Amino acid sequence: MRRRTMLTGTAAATAGAIAAPGGAEAFVTEGKRRTLVFSGGQPVPVLDPHVKYDYSTRLMQQSIYDALLKYIDNPPKIIPWLAKSWDVSKDGLTYTFHLVENAKFHNGDPLDAEAVRFSYVRGLKLNKGIAWMLKAHLDPAGIKVVDPHTVAMTLKEPFPGFISFVPWWFIVNPKQVMAEAKNNDDGQGFLIAHEAGSGPFKINRWDPQAAMVLDAVPDYWRGWEDGDANRPSGIIFQVIREPAPRREALLHGSVDIITDMSPDDYDSLAKVKGIRVPDEPGMAPFTVMFNCAWGPTADVNLRRAIAWAMDYNALIAIENGHARLMDSPFPPAMQDHIAVPGIPRKDLAKAKAFLAKTQYAKGGLTLDYLYVAGLEVERQVGLTILAALEPLGIKVNVQGVPWPTVMARGTQPKGGPAMIAVYVTPVSTDPDVVASQYASSAAGSYWGMHHLHDPTLDKMIAEARIELDQTKRAAMYAEIQKRIVSLQPAIFGMLENRRWAMKDDVEGFVFCPIRLTGEVDLYPMWIKA
Amino acid sequence: MIRFLLRRLAFLLLSLAGLVAITFVISHVAPADPAALAAGPDATASMIATIRHQYGLDRPLPLQFLRYVGDLARLQLGHSIATGHAVTADLAVYLPATLELVLLAMGFAIVMGVTLGILAAVRREGLVDHFARIFAVGGIAVPAFWIALILQLLFSVYWRLLPIGGQLPVAIAPPRPITGMVILDALLREQPAVASTALVHALLPAFVLSLPCLASILRITRQEMIEVLQAHYVRTARAQGIAPTRVVTRLALRNAMVPILSMIGLRFGFMLGTTVLVETVFDWPGLGLYAVTSATSADFAPVMGATLAIGVLFMLATLVVDLLYAVADPRIRVS
Repeated sequence: MRRRTMLTGTAAATAGAIAAPGGAEAFVTEGKRRTLVFSGGQPVPVLDPHVKYDYSTRLMQQSIYDALLKYIDNPPKIIPWLAKSWDVSKDGLTYTFHLVENAKFHNGDPLDAEAVRFSYVRGLKLNKGIAWMLKAHLDPAGIKVVDPHTVAMTLKEPFPGFISFVPWWFIVNPKQVMAEAKNNDDGQGFLIAHEAGSGPFKINRWDPQAAMVLDAVPDYWRGWEDGDANRPSGIIFQVIREPAPRREALLHGSVDIITDMSPDDYDSLAKVKGIRVPDEPGMAPFTVMFNCAWGPTADVNLRRAIAWAMDYNALIAIENGHARLMDSPFPPAMQDHIAVPGIPRKDLAKAKAFLAKTQYAKGGLTLDYLYVAGLEVERQVGLTILAALEPLGIKVNVQGVPWPTVMARGTQPKGGPAMIAVYVTPVSTDPDVVASQYASSAAGSYWGMHHLHDPTLDKMIAEARIELDQTKRAAMYAEIQKRIVSLQPAIFGMLENRRWAMKDDVEGFVFCPIRLTGEVDLYPMWIKA
Repeated sequence: MIRFLLRRLAFLLLSLAGLVAITFVISHVAPADPAALAAGPDATASMIATIRHQYGLDRPLPLQFLRYVGDLARLQLGHSIATGHAVTADLAVYLPATLELVLLAMGFAIVMGVTLGILAAVRREGLVDHFARIFAVGGIAVPAFWIALILQLLFSVYWRLLPIGGQLPVAIAPPRPITGMVILDALLREQPAVASTALVHALLPAFVLSLPCLASILRITRQEMIEVLQAHYVRTARAQGIAPTRVVTRLALRNAMVPILSMIGLRFGFMLGTTVLVETVFDWPGLGLYAVTSATSADFAPVMGATLAIGVLFMLATLVVDLLYAVADPRIRVS
């Protein structure tokens, strides 16, 4: 092309682009099939399924990779995926998975038992991301290939919760990974930015800061949920960091589904014609953790006084009604959840009675409340606590700080804040996943910013974890929930509803609470032509 | 000239060493545990220790610094603890995107700033002058992120004239990189439609980025031109019948150019810093956004890499400006 022609063309195209800008970008490809565009505020910097997971990362990992089992629906259930069935030995130690025979990786390699063994060993060996789920229960030596379509995993001790973590362990292609491994890195350098999966989508293009473009795999081994005619041509995950432009992108039609919005945004979008906002009960408890190891809140009676003074209705109001109060440390969708009798609700007389048992009977103290700067709900909760504690003579210093500072201050008991806002996102329906967050071994971690040390509770959690009799186990977890509430390591706040805003022509959306905030299963979703 | 250059390069290296030391110390005394942040909220102590060991964060700080300096000598800036990416490779992607935005903004600021400054000086106390003075104050006083949000609201939300953010629509594949600058690469690859779309996406962020610089250049140009236009030699030139346009552009402007060049060099550095805000608001995948994303996860290596890149660019811009003094005013010897 001659330079002048090209410059003239560019100028004309620029004028045209300004005259008819951005609006709905047509993502029509493959005939009538359309590409589904999902937008959130968080990028996808790492793809390796054994190294990192958060909602945006897992959104893509789940689209590119398959696991032996998968969580679907609400209430959540585990269904066979790469494993068509599984057996558990009578002693509860050995799990044998029987694989489907037609599964293949994107490069055409068959997905067999060796790939499963390699992926689990890799996940345990790297000791990153998902490793915490199984590291204490499974050794690499315990994973054996029985035949090309059967793999057995023998645990170190009985752990009935094992199956509930299997959907998080994605299978990678060993040949591809090891061919790209350098400096004994087990292919980490390769899998950060490339894929070796068997899932319904494969990577077309990826800019970690801006967008990830995935193409559908037309001959996906499992087929398509609503038939081949009703599948997307691909998926785009677009990072739009600020909520306002994200909202506008949905209204303009350039994206199909958005997440990470405020309660007010969702409410206003729900009123827009052509947009719907699914409103599903969430499973991520919002708690305000106390520093149980240092400062005034080391006194359980002060913690109880604060919990009984809290205005719980205000929490629901902050969410514009799209939330439920916690009735236990465990969310309701979790196995063996009970509504704990006598869990604190606002009662100023009780609060004052508990306060009288402390050295601060007349108040006169100031407590720090720390939250992640920019999270409006957490800020408003801080203001609610500030108002709620005024009748007790307790002042609250509400501080919004960056996320690294929350972690740095909150994980150190000495000198740490008295109260800290924490969202807990359970990744399993097994009660141990939440119960163990209140064990002494969790103290000092993100979930353990309460710094609680209670040997009785530790013993109860350790015993319940390995109990194979489900009836006995349920009774044990009921007692654990009561014990946690009585120790009051946190204000047990609310469970926000999970919401997304999406165009009416988005089909196949299925809610499942065992997903990270904002995450959806993109596999069954498509756009009506 | 060569001695001058060598001296300036030595000074540049010295400044760079200072920058490395300061950035390293500030990053590492920040109250955050990058290994714990990278490991995630569920991580066990052993997982955090694995990451800490892999990135050498379990070594004493002086040893970490020596290792960093050693890597730097080999032009290696380490790896991001949050993503595992090599910082050098990341910079190769994000720096061109920022440079593209900065060059567009700087070009616009220089052309508009100098033009308006001259007009304001020539037509002193006139309409243009009043506008220029208001603009000069407003352009510096109003925060870039606020202007960015307001312009997004007007041009993208209400009037729907310009895209709200990003470098290209996600459905359009960027051209295969040559320079890494999308507009330039699209032109070089003979993809005018992609170049135009990228240009339209750059308009708002480049305009916002240019404002403080434009206001400063306008102000200094106006001020210098007013002074120069009152000089005896300008009056003499006018009396000799030299055309007014020629007097202003050839005679007066050239003599007013040295402080304007200083301002441009200074503002180039500030502009690189402002990209942190502008790129965040407009989701522009450049160095500023990279630095912000990394800072929020206490990811030292990328933050230091981005800071060094900006520092080096700033120093180089200052050097170029120094060299241009001699071009603008032959009385100044580069020595």
